[in-house]
Amino acid sequence: MFEAKFEQAALFKKIIDAIKDTTSLCNFNCTEHGITVQAVDDSRVLLISLLIGSDCFQSYRCDKSITLGMDMSNLSKVLKTGNANDSLTLMAEDSPDSLLIVFEESEKSKISEYTLKLMDIESDYFNIDDIEQDSLITLPASEFQKTVKDLSQISDSLAILVTKDTIKFHVKGEMGDGDVILKPAVDLENTDNSVKIELNKAVNLNFGIKYILDIIKGSSLAPAITIKLTDQNPALFEFKLSSGYLRFYLAPKFEEDEE
Amino acid sequence: MGIKAEHVPHATTTNEMKNLFSRKVAIDASMCLYQFLIAVRQQDGAQLSSSDGETTSHLMGMFYRTLRMVDNHVKPVYVFDGKPPVLKGGELEKRLARREEAEKQIEALKETGTVEEISKFERRTVRVTREQNEEAKKLLKLMGIPYVEAPCEAEAQCAELAKAGKVYAAASEDMDTLCYRTPFLLRHLTFSEQRKEPILEVNTETVLKGLDFTLEQFVDLCIMLGCDYCESIRGVGPVTAFKLIQEHKSIEKVIEWIESQEDCKYKVPEDWPYKEARELFLNPDVTPGSEVELKWTSPDEEGLIKYMVNEKGFSEERVKAGIERLKKGLKTGKQGRLDGFFSVAPKTKEQLEKAKKRAAEEAKKAKGAKKPRRR
Repeated sequence: MFEAKFEQAALFKKIIDAIKDTTSLCNFNCTEHGITVQAVDDSRVLLISLLIGSDCFQSYRCDKSITLGMDMSNLSKVLKTGNANDSLTLMAEDSPDSLLIVFEESEKSKISEYTLKLMDIESDYFNIDDIEQDSLITLPASEFQKTVKDLSQISDSLAILVTKDTIKFHVKGEMGDGDVILKPAVDLENTDNSVKIELNKAVNLNFGIKYILDIIKGSSLAPAITIKLTDQNPALFEFKLSSGYLRFYLAPKFEEDEE
Repeated sequence: MGIKAEHVPHATTTNEMKNLFSRKVAIDASMCLYQFLIAVRQQDGAQLSSSDGETTSHLMGMFYRTLRMVDNHVKPVYVFDGKPPVLKGGELEKRLARREEAEKQIEALKETGTVEEISKFERRTVRVTREQNEEAKKLLKLMGIPYVEAPCEAEAQCAELAKAGKVYAAASEDMDTLCYRTPFLLRHLTFSEQRKEPILEVNTETVLKGLDFTLEQFVDLCIMLGCDYCESIRGVGPVTAFKLIQEHKSIEKVIEWIESQEDCKYKVPEDWPYKEARELFLNPDVTPGSEVELKWTSPDEEGLIKYMVNEKGFSEERVKAGIERLKKGLKTGKQGRLDGFFSVAPKTKEQLEKAKKRAAEEAKKAKGAKKPRRR
């Protein structure tokens, strides 16, 4: 028996909104510790790693580990029907062929129930080794979201350059160039508004902006985003949940090598 | 050839071309020129031609299908056939005979036949001429797309380039390419976009592992299924061929077994050159990949306009647009992929079992849908 109840549907709705454009089919692995997802886009450039820890739920029970394979557009359709502040319960049997999704409106005592057919999804599982970090930056998620959206108008590649006292986002397009520069700052009243840099080594990495536009869809999940950057390696973008995380691993772009 | 998904789950994946970005791919040029001559046609079924009546279907196909790859940031290198191996003589003779037969049919139909009927036989007379090969090479050079002249079979050379790491995969419609142990084989890469045919990616090692065959056994299987180099054993279809190799492990042993049976329904061809055919697959005549240098350069704008527009009668506007696409496709940096950094966990036994079962079920369903059983 698997039964997981969100006090508010908003959290799950936002999570699914954040990942549904990257992957169309997705396996949700439910264990006693919570729900995990690993999924990669078709071109294998962007990987999603999600953990919704059992503490994110009002109540959580999972007797036997199960895998729920779902079509994200179908799941999203069902989730759209519920209000953000309804409670949301996910239920499945031990060897399920469908998932029961229940919304309960707190005031009107209205209940809506949906069953969603599950599917067998074949997918590769990636072993993610720890990458030694050259630099780690933390900034307000909304700030990052706006910066990326603004710069995406100019080019389809975004460079992120980090030195010990600046973070620079740089684009170069046909119409011209653009730079957004952030300096570390501590906001004592609201620490989530702070910009932080931890630096071992300065980095300069290039990314396809269309993938970062997908990543910023997670911005409503957490006040801050943490980005771990290492030269010549995939970058890690992380939104923290109250228990767990939504992580994106993104492979960088390289200058064309002349072999 | 009868390689079926139920035998080897996981070996084939379908993909859209846009997901192949920044991959280099070796394409069997002779095969796609043939495809273009057959498929790139006017509405009435006639080949495209310039004002002085020369066929231009092959150039049209080469130009636009290459542009489609460049748009998707795929980097093609074309490989042309060299001298055919002696053993292919029989197959080539057969093809010639088929063409002559088709020509006779056209003659016969000239009086009475409909346009469709004639056009059907007309397609069977198609062959790629030496001039057309040279024209295609000239076009590629002007476009800045590299090509390689194979000493012998183009498919074998494509596989060699892939094995040497010069390219990611060999692209051909012929499954025989797997016999040369190309790491990956791409099918449908040079199809027209309108056909909406996804690209099939076949992983040779997974095929071998899935069948539990060595490469030698796989080659023997392909020879028994019918290759270009020799006949196959009469009466042995794909299912039997697979079973025989699985059981006896080599053609030698299969022959021994057939000859040991009294009154066997299978007949081994006389003087069957299967050993030579096998040798052609296992040790093909190719230029070592390490000696091949591939370079994608900017297009020769003036040259392209002169050749395509002035000589071959293509629209100047379209050729110019094509040049812009070539320049744009060349420019973007190389997007990395996560599989270069993270390893894929091997499938667990249960996953493999499950996949096999599902593939078998799907195959059954597909079969059932095609041929309703009558009793």
